[in-house]
Amino acid sequence: MSCEQARLQIGADPSGSAPELEQHLQDCESCRQFRTEMRTLDANIRRALERPPASAVTPRFTATWRPWALAASVLLATLAVLAVWLLHPSDTLAREVVAHVQEEPESWLARQNVDAQSIDSALRGAGVKLDITSDRISYAQSCWFRDHYVPHLVVQTAQGPVTVMILRNQHVSTRRTFREDGMSGVIVPAPQGSIAVLTRGGANIDAVSAQMQQDVRWLPNAH
Amino acid sequence: MRNSQPESPVSSISERLSGADPRASITQLFESMRPDLLRFAHWLARDRSLAEDIVQESLLRAWRSRDTLKDRGAARAWLLTIVRREHARLYERKRLELVSLDEALETQAPAKAADPEGDLFTLRNAIMKLPIEYREPLLLQVLGGFSTEEIARELALSSTAVLTRLFRARNKLRAFCGMSPAPDVSTSEAAP
Repeated sequence: MSCEQARLQIGADPSGSAPELEQHLQDCESCRQFRTEMRTLDANIRRALERPPASAVTPRFTATWRPWALAASVLLATLAVLAVWLLHPSDTLAREVVAHVQEEPESWLARQNVDAQSIDSALRGAGVKLDITSDRISYAQSCWFRDHYVPHLVVQTAQGPVTVMILRNQHVSTRRTFREDGMSGVIVPAPQGSIAVLTRGGANIDAVSAQMQQDVRWLPNAH
Repeated sequence: MRNSQPESPVSSISERLSGADPRASITQLFESMRPDLLRFAHWLARDRSLAEDIVQESLLRAWRSRDTLKDRGAARAWLLTIVRREHARLYERKRLELVSLDEALETQAPAKAADPEGDLFTLRNAIMKLPIEYREPLLLQVLGGFSTEEIARELALSSTAVLTRLFRARNKLRAFCGMSPAPDVSTSEAAP
């Protein structure tokens, strides 16, 4: 087997192994090094693919419609922002939380427990730790929300799944409850921000929010 | 802010079926795989809304042809294949004009600065930038667990062509990550 053939096999499947390849690697230091590097890269590729990508490509309207579409979008966005701020200024954070949860509908469907490493990874970006056992968490992502990464978790309770978003830097002065688009929720103040808890069914969000207020540890010096 | 999600075909079907109907278990099977399908579609389409449309349509197609699924152990691969074909169909049908990916990624620069896992962010961007002919077999292999032969069958390529594409995909990612790429291989990409 030549070096080119060996590298083709390694590059195509870094974790793969074949007698001919192994024999070549015994005598070829540079191909051994290549496989080590590719296996490290492949582990990172797998980690990178664990999370969905940020959406970066969107369909465009045709050139004829684009100016009108842009104008309409700007007008609608302006009206929507005005409506939100004029009619329910105190509910803006709750609405954005609901909108975010709606954009990740698969989060409610997850049933398998997330491993401790994934939970830690979701929490790390927000500079928080959680003192609960991981066998209740079925979804854990670090989501971009209001210019910060925030942990987005789904906790399984006896009454069904409950979404928890730990909102560092989003301060609320008092506990707020809300109900929108089939979800009910509560945002409670916390030492370094706030915690939002939502349910689509009859789960006890007050109990979960109280538990979270107790279990979330806010690490110092986080952004 | 988006509107409420349309009701999924899976949940609609679930409601129509009584608990005693043996077909209900297949809807549960499909439902349990929805997050995986959505992630796969999202990496293929590189757009969340498109990915949701693709998965929605794929689940409908899967439900209509559920009788062809003989081995439930093969359901995941079967559904991923349907998603891949639906993605290909969508692009063929709509011939979408796409925003330049470089341009779009530039608008995400603030996220990069705040990403606690900077290397993974770079790698995710690099995977996004891979041309579809390299990204598709890589996703089938890594996310789908497909073998080289299975990818070759699905993409109507020779096994050698698939090996080449997988090699080139990773070699490009090496370069994106600052490692020196290996010399390219010279192989034919003829269909089997």
